[in-house]
Amino acid sequence: MTVAGTERRRQLATAFIGTALTLVMGAVLIWGFHLATNMRANITALQSASALQNYPEEIAHQLNTLRDRLEVRAYSGQALSDLQATVTRFDQELKKINTGGNSESPQLDRALLLWHQYRPVLDPVVAFAGQPYVESDSAGSALSREGRKHYAEVKQAQLFAADNARPLQAQLASLASTLQHSSSDAADHLRGLLFVGVIAALMLAGAAAWFQRARNRQERVARDATEQTRDILKTVREGFFLLDANYRIGSVWSEALTRMFSRNDFAGLSFEELLQNLVPAATLSTATKYIKLLWGDRAHENLMKSINPLGQLEITMDNGHGSKETRYLQFDFHRVMGPEGVKHVLCSVGDITSSVLLARELHDSQENANQQLDMMLGMMHVDPLQLVSFLDTAETGLKLVNTILREPARTDAEFRKKLNGLFREMHSIKGEASALNLKSIASRVHSLEDMVSDCKKRPELSGNDFLPLVLKLDDLLAHLRGVREMASRLTAIKDTPAGIAAQTATLSTTMPSMKLSAATPAPPAPVATPERGAPRSVEDLRPALQSMAERLAHDHSKRFKLTMAGLSEVPTAYSATIKDCLIQMLRNAAVHGIESPDVRQANTKDAEGTVRVEFRKISDGYELVFEDDGVGIAPDSLRTAAVRKQMITEEEAAGMDTRATMALIFRPGFTTQDGVSMDAGRGVGMDVVARSVYALGGKIGVSTHPGRFTRFKIVLPPSEAASSTAVA
Amino acid sequence: MLYEQELKTFVEGTTNFFEVAAQQPASIGSPYLMEGSPSVHEYTGVINISGKREGVVYFTAPKAMLTVLLMKMQENDFSHETMRDLVGEVANTISGNARRDFGRDFVISVPSVVSGEKPSIPLRPGHRSFIIPINWRSHSAKLVVALA
Repeated sequence: MTVAGTERRRQLATAFIGTALTLVMGAVLIWGFHLATNMRANITALQSASALQNYPEEIAHQLNTLRDRLEVRAYSGQALSDLQATVTRFDQELKKINTGGNSESPQLDRALLLWHQYRPVLDPVVAFAGQPYVESDSAGSALSREGRKHYAEVKQAQLFAADNARPLQAQLASLASTLQHSSSDAADHLRGLLFVGVIAALMLAGAAAWFQRARNRQERVARDATEQTRDILKTVREGFFLLDANYRIGSVWSEALTRMFSRNDFAGLSFEELLQNLVPAATLSTATKYIKLLWGDRAHENLMKSINPLGQLEITMDNGHGSKETRYLQFDFHRVMGPEGVKHVLCSVGDITSSVLLARELHDSQENANQQLDMMLGMMHVDPLQLVSFLDTAETGLKLVNTILREPARTDAEFRKKLNGLFREMHSIKGEASALNLKSIASRVHSLEDMVSDCKKRPELSGNDFLPLVLKLDDLLAHLRGVREMASRLTAIKDTPAGIAAQTATLSTTMPSMKLSAATPAPPAPVATPERGAPRSVEDLRPALQSMAERLAHDHSKRFKLTMAGLSEVPTAYSATIKDCLIQMLRNAAVHGIESPDVRQANTKDAEGTVRVEFRKISDGYELVFEDDGVGIAPDSLRTAAVRKQMITEEEAAGMDTRATMALIFRPGFTTQDGVSMDAGRGVGMDVVARSVYALGGKIGVSTHPGRFTRFKIVLPPSEAASSTAVA
Repeated sequence: MLYEQELKTFVEGTTNFFEVAAQQPASIGSPYLMEGSPSVHEYTGVINISGKREGVVYFTAPKAMLTVLLMKMQENDFSHETMRDLVGEVANTISGNARRDFGRDFVISVPSVVSGEKPSIPLRPGHRSFIIPINWRSHSAKLVVALA
């Protein structure tokens, strides 16, 4: 049994007892009133009966007086008048007793009967109005004829009174006695009734006192409960409130809500109004729909919880100091069921900002650790000298990026001019990082490229737009420093005898044919120590290019083999440029050139494509040929892409010959791809290739056969000439 | 690593000063990084920060810029002391902004002022600073944020 059920029963009992006692009180009062009324009638009758007891004697006496007067011929008028008055009063009083509720009294009946016999005798006497005497000189006063008759009637009445006055008086005395007894009984009844009434009143008062006590106790309990609820709502760290069927907040909420939302006018506020201006419109719409779903009878609470869109809500609000602050709130909903379905929805709100930030820091830290592990594993497969060479190149590139940033700028044009330069420098770094499979560096540069790309899309640029860039640049430089330190440690580990043994073991596992010779003790081969700025030949990049080709094939679901020849012939002066060109063209070939195996087979080609790289010395310098047997370049697709990107107009496109169309490939920002990926889509790569070739005084050409191949040919002058060109 | 919001707080503190004091907003130029001690102008207001971040933030401005700024502020006193007070006031505004936004996470010192051609501002060795040019009218000052 619940507490509420017990309380309800108690209230019903209280109401029943109160009503019963009140009814008893009412009945007692009504009965008492009735008794009092009867008593009053009895007392009046008693008074009348007591008074009437003397009347028969008095009437008899007055009759005697009247007779005496008549006999002595004295004046009889007064006596007659007294008799008349007495008879009339007696008659009236008797009638009053008869009509006063005592008609069933036998004594009264007998008295009335006697009076009815008495009255006809008296009536002629009291009705006499003549002259009873006549005067004569001879006889003096004598009775007149009327007087004689009157005398006779008086005598007759006197005789009747002599016989009946006493019985009438006795009957009236008996009636008075009966009435007295009756009054006495009624008084007893009334006393008893009053006693019952007093008892009932006392019981009612007792019940009222008991009920009042119970009520006071309930009120105290309710007051304590209210106070406790208020304390809970004041202290609890979560925001609590109830939503009604109109999705409005009730009149009670926890104080934490005030701190969370910096307001306190929640009563009657709709849920939508609560979140308005704090969350994006789409989130608000989803949240509102979700709240509506909660009111459905068929909604399963656990299921609803799993689709709660407000599990981690990011809100931005004024921190009270004029600036904005981001907080993370967690909304949880519980349906409060009533007899007729969902009564309320209890909403709890928790400020999980610190947890979210902690989780984010943990995630970042984990991510960082994973990246470092990946980086370390990746670095173990990279020639340390090649790695150091890359780090030097990357640092130099990033310093160049910083130099570009450092150029003073005030206008939109000056800021915008920086962006293209930034793109070119970063693209080269990203390309080489990808080639060496240094994912953490490549992804950082890629996100920096994304930021630059976002800046390009803004209508008006200012220094504020460059703040995130410079922060990212700082992060990248710090990361490069970390990678360099890690490389030094790895080199140190490799230099130790244990490291060399581990390497030897790895070799013996992977190359069983060499096991015998490896088992023979031999002096450790000299391990190169990374040196800053040591120039590396392109030939050294061969394994990195091969692994890059494998990764690209895997990432883009392609199959192709890469053949490279003559890379050892690349003069040191051209190493950096050839390296950049190869990386960029390899990415282009993998993304745009080579078709997927299905497409190739459908076009009667081998499922595996071929990318061929050949570097050779020619009569007037050097030549690099980069060729893939992929889809080739369709001039129409180039023109369409250029028009789509608003680099040329449709009229210009219509007037372009094949040569001019092919030249579009080298324009900054040109790409046939719509989206941006890690390997393509920014339209920077071939622009970088062309610029670096031109910077060396070289030329670049492209020939293609749609569906068959694409071939880039780069011709560079003799390296001495290149040096002089570069200096110039 | 410094967060964008933290950098913005210092930048806004500086630009707001110009907007309020001179009724003419300042803009920021192209920010960049610098290793070692960046060159400073004649007057520099410095605040030292410790707690969640460690380092210094300073605003350094040439005399010509401060002179024009004082004129815009209806000041007639262009003495050395007034110039020092002015950069101190800028540093104070930056400090106030930082206190407001960062709360107890940052312990921010009372601003100090250094002046002269090559004042000594201690920076952490081998650490990069963020240099944010503050452009106002035709003049340019620098906000240097060197925090780790």
